[in-house]
Amino acid sequence: MRVVIAEDNALLREGLVLLLTSSGHEVAGVAATGPEILPLLLEHRPDVAVLDVRMPPGFRDEGLRAALAAREALPGLPVLVLSQYVEETYAAELLGGGARGVGYLLKDRVGRVDEFLDALERVASGGTALDPEVVTELLARRRDDPLDSLTPREREVLELMAQGLDNGTIARSMVVTERAVHKHIGNVFAKLGLPPSDGGGHRRVLAVLAYLDA
Amino acid sequence: MKWVGFPVGRVPDGPGPAVVAGGSSILVRGGPAHSGARPRSDGVARSTVSPAAAAYPVSMREAIKEAARGWLHLTIGAAISLFCYLMVGVALFTAFLTATVIGAGVLPESVLLLRRMAGWERRRTAAWTGTPVPEAYLPLEGPLPARVRTAVTDPGTRRDLVWAAAQLLYGSVLWYLSLIVWAPALLVDGVWTGLAGRRPVALPLIGRLAGLAADWSRALLTPTPSAARDAALAARIEQLTATRAGAVAAHGAELRRIERDLHDGAQARLVALSMRIGLARRVYDSDPAAGRKLLDDAQTQAEEALAELRHVVRGIHPPILTDRGLTGAVRALAASSGLEVAVSVTGLADHTGTGDGHDRDASTGHGHGGNGSAGHGTAPRAPAAVEAAAYFVVAEALTNAAKHSGAARASVGLARERTGLRVHVRDEGRGGAEAREGGGSGLTGMRRRVAALDGTVRLTSPEGGPTVIEVELPCVW
Repeated sequence: MRVVIAEDNALLREGLVLLLTSSGHEVAGVAATGPEILPLLLEHRPDVAVLDVRMPPGFRDEGLRAALAAREALPGLPVLVLSQYVEETYAAELLGGGARGVGYLLKDRVGRVDEFLDALERVASGGTALDPEVVTELLARRRDDPLDSLTPREREVLELMAQGLDNGTIARSMVVTERAVHKHIGNVFAKLGLPPSDGGGHRRVLAVLAYLDA
Repeated sequence: MKWVGFPVGRVPDGPGPAVVAGGSSILVRGGPAHSGARPRSDGVARSTVSPAAAAYPVSMREAIKEAARGWLHLTIGAAISLFCYLMVGVALFTAFLTATVIGAGVLPESVLLLRRMAGWERRRTAAWTGTPVPEAYLPLEGPLPARVRTAVTDPGTRRDLVWAAAQLLYGSVLWYLSLIVWAPALLVDGVWTGLAGRRPVALPLIGRLAGLAADWSRALLTPTPSAARDAALAARIEQLTATRAGAVAAHGAELRRIERDLHDGAQARLVALSMRIGLARRVYDSDPAAGRKLLDDAQTQAEEALAELRHVVRGIHPPILTDRGLTGAVRALAASSGLEVAVSVTGLADHTGTGDGHDRDASTGHGHGGNGSAGHGTAPRAPAAVEAAAYFVVAEALTNAAKHSGAARASVGLARERTGLRVHVRDEGRGGAEAREGGGSGLTGMRRRVAALDGTVRLTSPEGGPTVIEVELPCVW
């Protein structure tokens, strides 16, 4: 995959470049400030962009704004946004234009290299990757009966679905069969009163998030 | 206010044209209904209603009543004179004690007693004339030497002493005069009104004596403008000193909390992480499986350290405040509160949603949604500490509302005012926020944070709701 990276911290930037190149990806371009991002993306049109939220010159949310601008300028461009902290609001803004090819993760997750690369590939191929912390926050503030009626296993499945994982990944991460996952998902959707949905993908993520955010 | 109808030396303050008292009584006695000069005078009111002759019994009774009121005022004044007599004694005694150092502690107490007496006379005078008498004292606080110094140097003390000495004289003299006047006045006015059918002229003299007493007290007890200014300044300094001390203490407590959090949390985890990596290196060749396990642990600890750090950072200054400003941060709070929250913003930069109207360097926006759409782009931001305090107030209020109030909706208002920032949070829940157990610590923290910035918190939360929190944070824009 051809990747464009935007990260102002040199240590992290080099770490990301090392991580991506050593796992067989090509780093097409690197931006160290906010204003560089969009021209770089327009120039290289990468398979996926990895953007830090806080960038110079303002050190505010330049990266996030660049991500939104990039998805407007290049519809369908997969964007994975990284940050030192996550905000539900930012997640909502990112997903506002559709969940296809959108990722929003804590920088911490980069440390779990395999999972991070998984998420990156998922995003690049039109999937979704939402940080567990955002999902936890969403779940924490809803305290209504349908959610309480979920079994711990079903709740776990719901969280993983909201993070954007597909059934296979969920099964691996829970160490169960895909059949079992499928059954859990069916139960979750039935208990929450959501229309049944097959497979993984962004639509399911949006449905689950819409439910959690309601 | 209540006593303006009778001719006394003092013309009531007010919109009515100034009329010399004697002149007015002549006018009234002359009977023409439309003297028109004393719109607030009940004397006029009476004379406009009825001819003087028909009114005389009423006016005689009224005159006696008013004279009695004046006499009462003078009598209490005489009583105060008696106290003043004692007070002068106390003052001399205190001066003696203070001079011999033994009893310096008595001095501030005596001054407080004097202030109380002067306060009494101020209220009496205000009640008689209908206009408040301003009061201005330096606060008597701090350690004894400071109190003694303030008690001696406060111009208010000298003013009160002068008044006490004067009151001692005029309080008693005017009262004696009123005693002397009573009998002849009753006689004269009885004849005057009863036989001649005129309005009473002698009884109002007692009222005039009372007015005289009030005038003198006012003149003696009103602080000079500079003294009033000094006292106001002193009060302000005292308040600032207290709040600054609070701010310094709060700041210190905050630093200690952060230090402890970092020490017990992230730092300890990083030490453990480093140890695990060291161990993994040792066993790497001999026992790869154990090495792997140690590295797994190390990674877990690194992640926990990061989570801790994030938590600490949020407690210091929520990053979203930096990113989005107060309005954006509060909107984010509202969106994630689990309640239906209406946010209204007045006079502050407000860039809602995905970047339209953001007020920053055009370079980052790159045409997304257009820059500065709403013209709020130039609205100033409050100081960081004020924004942080406002943010925590809203966060705490919404958390409480979501947790305890049972409300489904709430409203948050942020308003820029000339003197600062006003934050208003209201929920339609079951109220009783102050009485609630456990709700106290959050509220206490909120009050402390706000007080540290010289702000005020008003909380109303009657049983049954609604709960309204109103916070004002002074700042310069």
